[in-house]
Amino acid sequence: MQLESGGVNLRGKLIAASCALLGSAPVAHAQTHDVVDTINRALADWQLDGAVAYYHENGRIQAVEPVINAGHELANGGQLDFNFTFDALSGSSPNGALTSRQVQTFASPSAKSFAQARHLYTTGSGSLPVDPNYSDARVAGGAGWTVPLSRLMRATLGGKFSYEDDFYSATVSAGLERDFNDKNTTVSVGVNSENDFLQPIGGAPAPRSDYTLFEKGGHETKHGLGVLAGVTQVMSRNWITLANVSVDRFSGYLNDPYKIVSIVDASGSPAGYVYENRPDSRTRRSVYWENRVGWAQGSVTADARYMTDNWGIRSETAELRLRWWLPGRDQYLEPSARWYRQNAADFFHPWIADSAPVPADLSADFRLAAFHALTYGFKYGCKLTDHLGRFGRDTTEFNIRLEYYEQSLRGNPAAPAASSGLDLYPKLQAFLLQVGFSY
Amino acid sequence: MKPRFIALCLMGALCLAGTVLCTACSSLGVKPWQRDLLSRRDMQPGGSRLDDAIDEHMYFSKEASSGGRSFGGGGCGCN
Repeated sequence: MQLESGGVNLRGKLIAASCALLGSAPVAHAQTHDVVDTINRALADWQLDGAVAYYHENGRIQAVEPVINAGHELANGGQLDFNFTFDALSGSSPNGALTSRQVQTFASPSAKSFAQARHLYTTGSGSLPVDPNYSDARVAGGAGWTVPLSRLMRATLGGKFSYEDDFYSATVSAGLERDFNDKNTTVSVGVNSENDFLQPIGGAPAPRSDYTLFEKGGHETKHGLGVLAGVTQVMSRNWITLANVSVDRFSGYLNDPYKIVSIVDASGSPAGYVYENRPDSRTRRSVYWENRVGWAQGSVTADARYMTDNWGIRSETAELRLRWWLPGRDQYLEPSARWYRQNAADFFHPWIADSAPVPADLSADFRLAAFHALTYGFKYGCKLTDHLGRFGRDTTEFNIRLEYYEQSLRGNPAAPAASSGLDLYPKLQAFLLQVGFSY
Repeated sequence: MKPRFIALCLMGALCLAGTVLCTACSSLGVKPWQRDLLSRRDMQPGGSRLDDAIDEHMYFSKEASSGGRSFGGGGCGCN
């Protein structure tokens, strides 16, 4: 404290001397200095992170997402965390129907009949059917409390909520962490429970019902319960590893209420559409492994995840991130890459034939198809500290991040004869631009 | 590479890590005064929580899998 106080006095003298030399008013500088010091003192036990992300897909969705996280260190060694997110989405969302040479006409989700539809939209020959009037906004917030139970054990309690026009969600979680081996080993276990309430625009459609009959009901619910256990181990002075296993189970209404499946006739042309239907429960299991290796000028983070579920989906993910500090250690560059692959759900049907009965479970949602995805990212960060040592925290930084995401279907799902030569499964390309600040 | 093979590799790596942890914990790790690198934010699991949350949301809305790192994903009607 004495050193800091001395530093402040020295800084004050330096400012005064500089101002005198420059012939400007020292009062204004002193006031600025006081404001900065007041902010520093008020936020002494806080860690703040904020960012605004802009997400853009080729010809589909775009979103703007401001996010803020705040962490407060408590005097008893505990921690409080708060986060807040806002999403504004707009653009065109695929409705599940198959691309065709014929012009296809659809009604907005709120419609009770084609005659009374607020919006009708038409998809041209050879184009992917998308609802061009898609828009949504989401507000989400959460809080977490870490409570020290002893020198080596902590409990965590958390909760979060999310609100959209057609979707509300509330989640609570609890966990325990215990350190061993001179705090080089940490074992953690946690549970969470999520409750969702869905109120689709226009009502929840009857699963597998004819799209033109507009059989729609009211609201639906789903419930999720998850367990996660993990071990974090300090391997050496510059290597830390983390392994998690998790299981979760969701039950209730798991359909996407806005997705339909095309029925194709013998000639290969669309003969109608039905609403999708997914199984009413889903159990997922995952294994996650992360390693961080650091040295004076940088660090490498490598992680991998394997996930499987009872819908027949298996996925593998691998991610690599390199942080490289430039000389002076006040700026860094961080290139990253991610590889992801999944196979199709058992009930993924991009279309069905009118000669066969409608399957009990079916969905044409591309997210349930077999595909692989690649992400390339680059981040630049610089510490915000001036030559007087203000904003003197190691964590105070400005950063900017750019990511490119590309998703391509794997294999060649069978296509109706009439659709040969059409791009039925166009590649999804998206980029994300994020500007952030940490204090 | 077959998914099952990758799964087996991951399981094997986890078993290996578990064995190492159970049998040689005392020889792993560092003393408190050797935590200079480990105390850096980029060396702490969850140190890029905000980036992770934004990425998780993007992947949650575009892919069939999510989470694993922590209780992430969910709480969104986008999937």
